Amino acid sequence: MADVVDGGVSAPAPRVQMRGIHKVYPDGTAALRGVDFRLHPGEIVGLLGENGAGKSTLMKILSGLLRPTRGEVLVEGHPARFRNPSDALRCGIGMVHQVFTLVPPFTALQNVLLGQEGAGLLRALPEASARARVQALLDELGLDVPLDVPVESLPVGVQQRVEICKTLYRGTSVLILDEPTSALTPGEADELFRFLRRLRDRGVGVVLITHKLREVLEVTDRVVVLRQGMVVGELSTGSATAENLAELMVGQVTGLRVRRTPRAPGQPVLSVRGLWVRDDQGRLAVRDLSFDVREGEIFGVAGVEGNGQSELVQALTGLRRFEAGEVRLEGQAVPTLEPLALYRRGLAHVPEDKARFGLALGFDLVENSILGRQRENQFLRGLGRLNRPAIVRYARELVERFHVVAPDLATPVRNLSGGNQQRLLVGREVSKQPKLVVAMHPTRGLDVASTVYIRELLVQLRDVGKAVLLVSADLDEVLELSDRVAVMYGGQFLAVGPSDHFRRETVGLLMGGVVPTGDADQPRAPSPR
Amino acid sequence: MRTSRALRPLAESLATVALGLVAGAVLIWAFGHPPGAAYRALVLGAFGTWEDLLETLAFATPLMLTALTFAVGVRGGLFNIGAEGQMYLGAVGATFVAGMVPMPAWVHLAAATLAGMAAGAVWALIPAALKAWRGAHEVISTIMCNWIALHLSMYLAINLLAEPGRAERTVPALPTARYPVLSEDSTLTAVVFVAVGFALLVYAYLWGTRAGYELRLAGENPDAARYAGVRPQRVVVLTFVIGGLAAGLAGASQVIGRPPAWSLYATLGNVTTLGFDGIGVALVGRNHPIGGILGAVLFGALAQGGRLMEYEVGVLSELVRALNGIIVFAMAVPELWSLIRRRFLRP
Amino acid sequence: MSTVPSGAMGRYRWLWWLAAAATVAATGRSLERVGLPPVSLVETGLLAMTPLALAAVGECLNEKAGLVNIGLEAIFMVAATVGVWCAELGRSGYVGLAGGALTGAVMGLGLGAVSVYGRADQVIAGMGLNVFALGFVPFLLISLWAFPGIHVFPNELMIPRIPTPVGQVSPVTVAAVLAAVLAHLLLHRTVLGFRIRAVGERPEAVDVAGLRVDRLRLLTATLGGTLAGLGGAFLPLGWFGALVKEISAGRGFIALACVVFAGLEPLVALGAALLFGLADGVASAVAVTPGLKERVPFYFVSMIPYVVTLAVVAVVIGGRRFPSTVGRPYARE
Repeated sequence: MADVVDGGVSAPAPRVQMRGIHKVYPDGTAALRGVDFRLHPGEIVGLLGENGAGKSTLMKILSGLLRPTRGEVLVEGHPARFRNPSDALRCGIGMVHQVFTLVPPFTALQNVLLGQEGAGLLRALPEASARARVQALLDELGLDVPLDVPVESLPVGVQQRVEICKTLYRGTSVLILDEPTSALTPGEADELFRFLRRLRDRGVGVVLITHKLREVLEVTDRVVVLRQGMVVGELSTGSATAENLAELMVGQVTGLRVRRTPRAPGQPVLSVRGLWVRDDQGRLAVRDLSFDVREGEIFGVAGVEGNGQSELVQALTGLRRFEAGEVRLEGQAVPTLEPLALYRRGLAHVPEDKARFGLALGFDLVENSILGRQRENQFLRGLGRLNRPAIVRYARELVERFHVVAPDLATPVRNLSGGNQQRLLVGREVSKQPKLVVAMHPTRGLDVASTVYIRELLVQLRDVGKAVLLVSADLDEVLELSDRVAVMYGGQFLAVGPSDHFRRETVGLLMGGVVPTGDADQPRAPSPR
Repeated sequence: MRTSRALRPLAESLATVALGLVAGAVLIWAFGHPPGAAYRALVLGAFGTWEDLLETLAFATPLMLTALTFAVGVRGGLFNIGAEGQMYLGAVGATFVAGMVPMPAWVHLAAATLAGMAAGAVWALIPAALKAWRGAHEVISTIMCNWIALHLSMYLAINLLAEPGRAERTVPALPTARYPVLSEDSTLTAVVFVAVGFALLVYAYLWGTRAGYELRLAGENPDAARYAGVRPQRVVVLTFVIGGLAAGLAGASQVIGRPPAWSLYATLGNVTTLGFDGIGVALVGRNHPIGGILGAVLFGALAQGGRLMEYEVGVLSELVRALNGIIVFAMAVPELWSLIRRRFLRP
Repeated sequence: MSTVPSGAMGRYRWLWWLAAAATVAATGRSLERVGLPPVSLVETGLLAMTPLALAAVGECLNEKAGLVNIGLEAIFMVAATVGVWCAELGRSGYVGLAGGALTGAVMGLGLGAVSVYGRADQVIAGMGLNVFALGFVPFLLISLWAFPGIHVFPNELMIPRIPTPVGQVSPVTVAAVLAAVLAHLLLHRTVLGFRIRAVGERPEAVDVAGLRVDRLRLLTATLGGTLAGLGGAFLPLGWFGALVKEISAGRGFIALACVVFAGLEPLVALGAALLFGLADGVASAVAVTPGLKERVPFYFVSMIPYVVTLAVVAVVIGGRRFPSTVGRPYARE
């Protein structure tokens, strides 16, 4: 399938090697089926694959967090058996997880020290003496981290540096990073890559778990591609192209790009004026936002997560109260935003976290198909009884129309794959005959087929004249699907304009809060108020 | 596929009960009794004769109702352990109407039943209100309400409902307000049909109506419930009220549906701990009204059979309640089942 | 998602202490006026505080590490019974206290083990313990002493009280105060406490740091059980002088209310225990004071501690729940 590089006899012993790794989870899922992997000092290996391909599982085994069902791990050529992460750390293997493993109220220094306190259990935490050592390490690595602030108040990019520092403080020479750029701005990602190259030059072996082709091509020396728990290709980055990596990753060349024909938008469906929203901590997360979403257009909001997108969407869909502002639907003011009233006026909502908001995982497909629609007369009989036959008929229709794969309608949706869960949810929302569709991260964590399917569906909705508000942290998704794009930063839109006026680099800067100056393509910046 | 989905919880429940019995056998043995003989007496006592079986059902009647209180709570996302107190007041309410307010025959029976249910529901409104509008944790508030209810009910039993010359119990229910005894050889009365009927009604309500759907949705996923426009406060109140009705009926059933006392003891001795026992029943019944009926028969059998066990082998019937606790404890451990499946059911 | 349980009273802590002290003083004065001696009130209050404080302090540690023990009531009941039994065997109240503490340790460890290794629903498992105790304690009473419901043991087994300016104080009360101070120091001044706080907030961080989540949690579960067991044995041996089958009477849950009230801070929990203890003291004092006991029905006096707890839970604690990380089992896979 692909040419295997540097398997020659002259190659030095790998720093770590994994042979014939199998992993079957307690629920019976086979995550890995005979994977071989090796890493040399001073190289960056990209571990590429779709969601669920087994990348994280493989590296969790290497870092001692999981135990393989079968297979062996060799460190410097000697078999090693890791019972927990500290065993792996002792062999110099450390992992930075996708979801950070930081204690939120602890300071960066305390987080680095956890487990490495260097004092008896009943002694005081020797923060003062450790500080010098941690600071020295940071200086040596060229990382800038404030040591005495609770990490929960640090930006995600800085939290990541704390994570990396934590790992390297333990003397790690094999560093594994799981999807490290998912919450970073493009600028921050570049900075991270420069740092990884410096580490490589110092002899550290780096594994970069990712599903983004761009990153693999940019920073790695060698790529290992996983699909359905097996290695389907291993090649040196120099000989790889985006096309052949994509083909290896998904199995066939798919039209990833969704075709979008130009279309003149109509009347505004959603009009927002001067909206202010607070987050759970009471901070103003959305600050004085004004925008329209019109018939037959997709209005995309790009931005790094945590810049007020969640609060904006929750306010517009009635899940969060807003402080001030005015929201109009089809020109009519909506005084209080309440979910059911909004649905009646034509709102469909694909929430950011389907398992949290949009589905009841313990309920079956039938009951999930009317979630949010349970008060509609077509699903009810006298005395407030549910019209079960009508609901079952409707659920079956959803399953067929939106290609939901499920054993039967009585299956709890917990047992469906993420893609099928999202198809059911999106199908339910779309079949409401909405006028406005609000979708947040609609393809997050989905397989490629479902991603393409849902993106196409959103474009179809736009083509038949619906207004679509798309909020996504996936910059490429926003740029590809939207007619108009806004970049959200710190609760405000730093720029709004037609999507073809934006260059990817410009958006990247804006996502980091940098407003580029002197750029000919510069879209309309917000007018000072 | 479908049958195995339905059978697995049943198998797990039965296995948990079996585990509880094994633990009980160890306790019986540790206190110097022969476990085999004790359990033979237990089974014989519960199912040996037709009368024993009816008596088992008589013990099961209040349990299926207090189990319902806990089960509806869990379905609505609440840990309502207030059945005990709600049941006391249900018994007081039923005793008051049945013993002190003369009425025509069948009306009186219905009125006494409803009075018990209403009293239970009203008492449930206290933790409901504290939860819905103050966010007070229901575990603490329902337990406090139980203790307050205990003292309040004893006070009412001795002062309001007292029969002159009979310090140990309240006025008895008038003959017009007594459920007909089904068999002279047992204490089973027609109230068992009311209990089963109420459980079935709650089942139909939870799974067959819009309001029941919303209640279960709020319990399954509160965020999704908000997304679906469900008001959390209303669900909290509804959940507590249904639970209170069930617990109140349980209390009433022991006064107007259980010979020979037909009254409430001044110590509340004929109702105490029935509310807590319902927790185990509900868990074994998988927090389902129908499962609760089956679980109640099982625990009813333990209670009835325990009497013969005490009489014949000398193992105190209090041990049955300890068994109940062990079963609850084991029901809490889902890993137990995957562990057993992994170790024993797979080659 | 991080819940920083910032003590019940946050920045205005001192104000609350002041208010509490004022309330106590005012209550003492007004009670004196109706004929209640404040000294006996404080004495009873401190006695009632002791089991609550011990259990609450232990449970603070337990919940800081991310576990919750709803079965404190059961520990009180079983430890009281076993404690008296041990005292009679060893002919010393102190042996009884040790036996109770050991019983609590075993029960706490058991609950901790099913939570940590069995990933149990901790609320249900704890409730299982409570139901178990409801049957097991009467069973023990009859099995050990052949008396249903009550057992009076020889008076010389009682833990002697020490005379102090605030009345006769039990050494166990002193131990409870000491436990609160030590727990505070442990949590905030030591490496172990640092790790306990970390494991409650973010067990994943502790795990990838190469520390054992299970051991830390078992440790706090056992510590919490030990303290609650000591409190349980204190009930008959240090306070009542007799064993009744429902000796705990909801105190396990009042201790839980103290913990929630305190936002998991041991020193604040001690204060809360004192508050609830005084409510109990008032109830006991009213029940025995001539001139008052005839006027207020005994049943209503008995309600006072529960009504006070309910009121505090409703008014002061309000929306605060157990921290979101508490009670959730940790699993890697």
